[in-house]
Amino acid sequence: MNYVRPKATRLFSAAAAVAAALVLAGCAPASPAPESGSEAGTPVTGGTLVYASGDAEPTCLDPHVGGNYPQALVASQYLETLYTKDASGQLIPWLAEDSTVSEDGLLRTLKIREGISFTDGTALDAAAVKANFEHLLDPETASSTGFLALGKIASMKVVNTTTLELTLSTPDSSLLESFSMPWVAIESPTALKRSQEDNCAAPVGTGPFKVESWKKQDAVNLVRNADYVQPVATEGHDGAAYLDAITWRFIPEAATRYAALQSGEVQIIDNAQPDTIAAAAKTQTIKHLDAPRPGASNRIELNSSKAPFNDASVREAFIHAVNVDASIDSLFFGTAPRSYSPLSSAEPLAYSAESLFAYDPAKASELLDAAGWSERDAEGYRVKDGTRLTLTFPVSTSQSIPAEQSLFEQLQATAKESGFDVKIKLLDLSSWYGELFKNDYNLVSAPYTKVGPSVLSVLFHSDSTIPAPSGYFANLSQVKDPSLDALLDTAGSTKDEAERKDLYSQAQKKVLEGYYLLPLYDQQNHFLYSEKLRNVGATTAVATPTFFDSWLAN
Amino acid sequence: MSTPKPQLSLGDPLLTPRPAPRAPRGGGRMRRIVARLPLIISAAVLAFFVLSAIAPQILAPFDPLAINPVDAFSGPGAGHLLGTDESGRDIYSRIIHGSRDSLLIGAAATAIGLFLALVLGTIAGFGSRWMDSWVGRILEVLFSLPGLLLALVFIALAGPGVGTTVVAVGLTTAPGYARMIRVQIIALRSSPMVEAATVLGRSPARILTTHILPNALAPIAVLGTLGLGQAVVWAASLSFLGLGSPPPAPEWGAMLSAGRTYLALAWWMTFFPGLAIVLVAAASTVLSRTLSAGAKR
Repeated sequence: MNYVRPKATRLFSAAAAVAAALVLAGCAPASPAPESGSEAGTPVTGGTLVYASGDAEPTCLDPHVGGNYPQALVASQYLETLYTKDASGQLIPWLAEDSTVSEDGLLRTLKIREGISFTDGTALDAAAVKANFEHLLDPETASSTGFLALGKIASMKVVNTTTLELTLSTPDSSLLESFSMPWVAIESPTALKRSQEDNCAAPVGTGPFKVESWKKQDAVNLVRNADYVQPVATEGHDGAAYLDAITWRFIPEAATRYAALQSGEVQIIDNAQPDTIAAAAKTQTIKHLDAPRPGASNRIELNSSKAPFNDASVREAFIHAVNVDASIDSLFFGTAPRSYSPLSSAEPLAYSAESLFAYDPAKASELLDAAGWSERDAEGYRVKDGTRLTLTFPVSTSQSIPAEQSLFEQLQATAKESGFDVKIKLLDLSSWYGELFKNDYNLVSAPYTKVGPSVLSVLFHSDSTIPAPSGYFANLSQVKDPSLDALLDTAGSTKDEAERKDLYSQAQKKVLEGYYLLPLYDQQNHFLYSEKLRNVGATTAVATPTFFDSWLAN
Repeated sequence: MSTPKPQLSLGDPLLTPRPAPRAPRGGGRMRRIVARLPLIISAAVLAFFVLSAIAPQILAPFDPLAINPVDAFSGPGAGHLLGTDESGRDIYSRIIHGSRDSLLIGAAATAIGLFLALVLGTIAGFGSRWMDSWVGRILEVLFSLPGLLLALVFIALAGPGVGTTVVAVGLTTAPGYARMIRVQIIALRSSPMVEAATVLGRSPARILTTHILPNALAPIAVLGTLGLGQAVVWAASLSFLGLGSPPPAPEWGAMLSAGRTYLALAWWMTFFPGLAIVLVAAASTVLSRTLSAGAKR
């Protein structure tokens, strides 16, 4: 009962919020900006950073369990990974010291760094890493992201305290990239022996902060790890973090989250919406961090498994019928550059083909006429053999931000001019999965974050059309092309970096030219923070920010 | 027993009769008009929205679905009376076109609610004792669930959409009406008029149709007017939660929800659809209050 009542009154609180917003819009944030004199550059130790997340509160703080982005965001503060990416985007060893692979690519030897301890006092060694991999591969853990990343490990052997040998079922050119993801982060083996409930409440890692308490529906409280040793020296400082603590809060409502930042109640927010980023750019007190996620770009997939998109020329016609650029410009306020690649711009091997994606209704019309969709019904939609050219587009309201939902509505409007009847269905996540499982879609947009171009195999290999036990499959365009499979298989196992790059480029070219997807922009990952929070910008390999070097100015 | 007056057992102070405003002698027309001003304004507001529901093209200058990204987030002014939304669509035109959905959902839901209530209320009030007690138990079960929850459960089962919203809101409002109708019918049943008819040997069906229902219907008309405003608000709430008309339909609740994101940037996206909802709800409340005062007199 209590759960539902507030919803009934939301309507009225929305009206009240209008009034509040008018007041807010009128007055600038009250905090007087400190003089940026000579003191501004000297780090201050102490203080509590309040972080406000727009994501749903995770049900488990251990990113091994399940494995989604909200978990990665918070876990990046207290867990570290074997590999990571440096400021220039290069993959570098972190908790690992080095790694070698045998000539046939089937034996990977990992050297673990010495002298590092977990915050419960357990030492990091090869056996600890093995315990983590076993935890990830154990069905009881119910890991999805980490489980997939380690899928090619057949067996493991601890050679000595610093050496771990991994025997692979097939060569895996993306294994080290997988090791850089927080979903494969290394936790204390002592802590992993606890019940899953205990480990979910307070995972133990080697990071600059540790989980002190988690008050559900309220906040996760992190405190400084006083004994922190950075595995590799970086440009920043040595020793422990500057901040005493981080309070990790959840404020799902975008406008409320931004208002909390403006008022100084919180110092950093994630999931910053385009309009607030544009508004913040006009202030002196709020700064912006744009950290596009690696892996796939945000794109609309065209389901090639059924009519009308089983016809490549109808796919091509749809792509020319929608005016993406005009809509992105107005809805994203210049915060989201257009993408023409299946991969994120954060991926060095991304291949773009801008020329394929021009807005050209005349060409769309030509293609549709030739494909037999030449007649129009009373409402202006194209018909063929009495069937209307209808495209079902389930949209997950939790995965697509409001600006993206508006973008889809605008694409719906421009596609209508060419005679497409796009039916947008706004759904909650589980209903959305249900529609995909039933193959009840022609268009769909799903994010996918992963380090490295191997995400292409996840999204476009025919194996990925086979649903996992959960019912989910990632190849949503349902492209099944043996020559593409061969390219992806070879690219995934080659040791030759140049060959890998060439093969992945070919694979990208193939899916783009087959009009299986309409790239939109990078996976948006924007943060807004108070100018009092200094030295923000360091991120993990999956673009989650870390606050080891950050400090709060007085 | 004296002649029964239609009794409304609603705790709503709006339904309790007020002394009719009487213009003092020599007070002139001006005062009478002022006293009737709320009624006149309410009637005008409802007439405006009914007209826009019937013939939106007369009142709306733009196509409610025509996008124009270049024009997005324009403030209220000469070009667009109430501004534009994130896709450059004219808010005023969308509100006008949206009134059909909103009013239709409101009216249809109220009709369904009243019809169900009439059936249940009649069974309870006019049927045998055990029928009364069974209907009473069913109504208590329905009452034990908060209204919106009942609607949400129904939508979860039947899937979102305009038709579902109508039935969901109708179902949710029915129990309240049913109780009031039952009380009405019980009061009428023991009236001298009905006693006389019974003594004259009229069949129960005839008594129900010629004496009880016509007399019970007058207060129901008042309830319906009051319910219309409530149903419009409920329908908008459900659309606000994304359970009503699919995009890009210009439904008021959905517009309110879409505008919420841009509250700090474009207040008009939320303010004007919200104003439309408030106006319809307030106008139908004022109207029903006047009607009920009239019915009591």
